[in-house]
Amino acid sequence: MSLYRDSGVVLRTYKLGESDRIVVILTLGHGKIRAVAKGVRKTKSRFGGRLEPLSNVSLLVYEGRELDTISQVETIDSLGPLYGDLDRLTQGLSLLEVVDRITPDREPVPHLHRMLVGALRSLESRPLPLVVPAFFWKLLAAEGVRPELDVCVRCGEADNLIAFDMNEGGVLCRTCRTGTPISAEALRLTRMILGGGMNAALDEPVTPATAEVRHLATEAMEHHLERRLRSVALYERL
Amino acid sequence: MAAVYAQAVQTLIDELGRLPGIGPKSAQRITFHLLKLPTEDAERLANAIITAKARVRFCEQCFNVSEDELCSICADPRRDQTVLCVVEEARDIIAVERTGEFRGRYHVLMGAISPIDGVGPEQLKIRELLRRLGSDTVQEIILCTNPNVEGEATAMYLARLIKPLGLTVSRIASGLPVGGDLEYADELTLGRALEGRRIVD
Repeated sequence: MSLYRDSGVVLRTYKLGESDRIVVILTLGHGKIRAVAKGVRKTKSRFGGRLEPLSNVSLLVYEGRELDTISQVETIDSLGPLYGDLDRLTQGLSLLEVVDRITPDREPVPHLHRMLVGALRSLESRPLPLVVPAFFWKLLAAEGVRPELDVCVRCGEADNLIAFDMNEGGVLCRTCRTGTPISAEALRLTRMILGGGMNAALDEPVTPATAEVRHLATEAMEHHLERRLRSVALYERL
Repeated sequence: MAAVYAQAVQTLIDELGRLPGIGPKSAQRITFHLLKLPTEDAERLANAIITAKARVRFCEQCFNVSEDELCSICADPRRDQTVLCVVEEARDIIAVERTGEFRGRYHVLMGAISPIDGVGPEQLKIRELLRRLGSDTVQEIILCTNPNVEGEATAMYLARLIKPLGLTVSRIASGLPVGGDLEYADELTLGRALEGRRIVD
């Protein structure tokens, strides 16, 4: 049993017993950990408020056999701005849901941690509609299922790309078309996101293509996870 | 392993073991304690459980636990009809009642919006709340959900839904607990305490 320091983002919490919580945290050095935070549901808890989902914290943790125990917490990024805004809050929660589904326990995934912290920071400072879809696409690419966007996945044709098929994993031309239609503008935005122009893509003005990219990203993520994303359903309804 | 205890004892241990916070060892301890009790004491406990299960239901108006169609708070005409306090669970009513500061009525949502656990607005008693607002004499809604992510999301969702109806919508303040230490307050709580400060007179 030893003590370690790490930093991480709180993904979700479960109630445990009378006043404790189990906190699931994506840490930088130890991957996704489950740790017990004792007494955090009491009003006099010294660190309860820092362990809400979405907060990025620096931790001191006792390593246990199955569950670790949190001994100290300090805030790195406060979730203040997200907390007061329903749209941003639900968008942030959908990032957490996806990351929680995709990461294995206790296996360091520093690139995912970095992406999540980055995405949450941009939700805080520039809450643009493409932050969540861009995160989904980037995450899929990091998982090794980057979609083919430049040529038709079936015949290799580079023009007249008008459809996107989840099963084929990319775009299709007019003759091979299956799946959902994709507009030229939505295709351009998705290429920008995955082609290193993410910041420029985020700053693009909102058009109908924005919503299209969002739907497509959600659909691709759900296809990859093989389950519906509950939090996305909530924020799209608001 | 062969059964160590008589069947009746084992059944009791298993049933007690299903209660929250009671493991197999505590279940065993309670079982033997019950077996040592005089018969009438044990019967009193059994009857208390049966009566509570048979008599207690949810108030038709506010979903508080109640023995009648309306709970004692909804049925009390001296209660302020213009203020409605929205809480997550029936036990939160007890917490608010203990303060003695609130004289209005309540509405229990029976949960909070939690996308990760798949609890959306449909699973809560929100439709019933809106129906009450339509017919009642309510002028102010106090959103008294827990100050965590789920409770906060629920409060913001309700505020967005109710504001257009032209009612006063307020949220309970959050800040430092009485008897707490500033030094150990987390940034968010302390920030909100500063935001919600009041003029001393």
